[in-house]
Amino acid sequence: MKDLERKIIYLFVLLALLVPLITGLVLKPVKMDNAGSIYTQIEELKFKKNEVAFVALDFGPNTKGENEPQSEVFIEHLMLNKIPFVLFSQYFLAEPFLKEIPLRVSKKIMKLYPERKLEYGVDWVNLGYQPGRTQLIQSIPKSDDLRKIFIKDVRGNKLENLPIFKNLTNFSQIKLLAQFTGLTGLFDIYVSFFKNKEHQPLFFHGCTSITIPDAYIYLDSKQINGLFEGIAGAAWYSELLNIDNPGRVPDSSHIINTMLGVAHLVIILLIIFGNIFRRKL
Amino acid sequence: MWDNLIIIAGGLATLGIFSFLIKENFIYRLFEHIFIGIASGIGVLFTIKNFLYPKIIRPVLGIDIYKYPDGTVESAYNTFNLLYLIPMAFGLLYYFIYSKKHGWLAKLVIGFSLGISGGLHFKGFFNHVMPQIFSSFKSLIVLDNGAINYLESFNNTIFVITLLSVMYYFFFSFKSKSKISLGISKTGRLLLMVCFGAFFGSTIMARLTLLVERVQFLYNDFFGLIF
Repeated sequence: MKDLERKIIYLFVLLALLVPLITGLVLKPVKMDNAGSIYTQIEELKFKKNEVAFVALDFGPNTKGENEPQSEVFIEHLMLNKIPFVLFSQYFLAEPFLKEIPLRVSKKIMKLYPERKLEYGVDWVNLGYQPGRTQLIQSIPKSDDLRKIFIKDVRGNKLENLPIFKNLTNFSQIKLLAQFTGLTGLFDIYVSFFKNKEHQPLFFHGCTSITIPDAYIYLDSKQINGLFEGIAGAAWYSELLNIDNPGRVPDSSHIINTMLGVAHLVIILLIIFGNIFRRKL
Repeated sequence: MWDNLIIIAGGLATLGIFSFLIKENFIYRLFEHIFIGIASGIGVLFTIKNFLYPKIIRPVLGIDIYKYPDGTVESAYNTFNLLYLIPMAFGLLYYFIYSKKHGWLAKLVIGFSLGISGGLHFKGFFNHVMPQIFSSFKSLIVLDNGAINYLESFNNTIFVITLLSVMYYFFFSFKSKSKISLGISKTGRLLLMVCFGAFFGSTIMARLTLLVERVQFLYNDFFGLIF
């Protein structure tokens, strides 16, 4: 009987998830101040020539549901604002995302704005999976030539031959770092080591819902300058992109956010229902 | 063709893992082991592909030096690249862990790794925690253009009460049975419960997002391809 009850609950949750998917129901996302703050900062940032953003996609299939839409909307915003960026990851399962996301987003932007040309090597570079964790990250701010640390991109090109890296040598040229992960251990490494006495890049973090309470501590101590709070943060960021770019093809964050909202509501109702009609043990 | 095969494989693997919801079964265990195997294998592969081969093996062997059609080379072989062999050989000592006689050699590598990681964490700890300690010193009365900002002051007061009472709850050095002491301790425990509730709620949300992503994949891609 207990086993059957559990399966009924699974069925309810599945049906709740399928309703927005089948009907195409999309709810307007709730305003997320911390994600909104990242958007505003990116809009206001003035990038000088040879300055770049570093984007670390430290996630794999296990947190794809939240981290992929976050990184997708962020990369889209960088590309729309012509901010060159360098992608890398400390998590080997991120390799496909490093390749696919910027390609997908660049195609989308070039379709919306045919006059814009986005090119690998000029607008972004993929360094691929970079093992080394703490040893690697702490070596970046100390380096006097970043090209000596990474040497080649994932396609095998020497970094000095790529337009982005032609004059990119110094850590102070990294204006911002955005890191997307569900793994708190990796995030802590950047907090501790991705800075030196002279320079501390702006630090934006995309976390999963589980790590939101943890991430607030870093936000409060200003160790990070903005936060994507799970899928809700990505959905609000996407909404801001929609407002500024009429005709933009929506990404997956809105529908995931809606499905999650409906399923959450069902779970709350089930908890209330379960507590009212609880059988005495 | 390949894309379709990937979608079918992904769909079957997802359904196989979801079959656990009915009951523990062979198909679930099969896909679980496949996933663990692939995840471990890919880690080794990418470390070789992205790090070991391009950054160590190629420079040591000199095969990263470009040869022009006229036979001249981009640059001369850098003999200092051979120095990479020293840390590599030292690292390989780790494999002596399988030898009873020479196991002590592995301990050298382990000790070296522990020393490095301890030193880095010591530095990292201060970079990581000190700003958080400083940010916990909050003013209980926040003034905004000469007037009291009640909301911010209330926020800060809650923060300080939570911090102190939770720290007090975990203070086990001496026991006090006074009413004040027990009251603070109980407040700390209650606030911890609120925190655990928030963690639990956010955990459900994260797990559901994973499910949402898979359901979306099954509905749009997998079933979309099959039916």
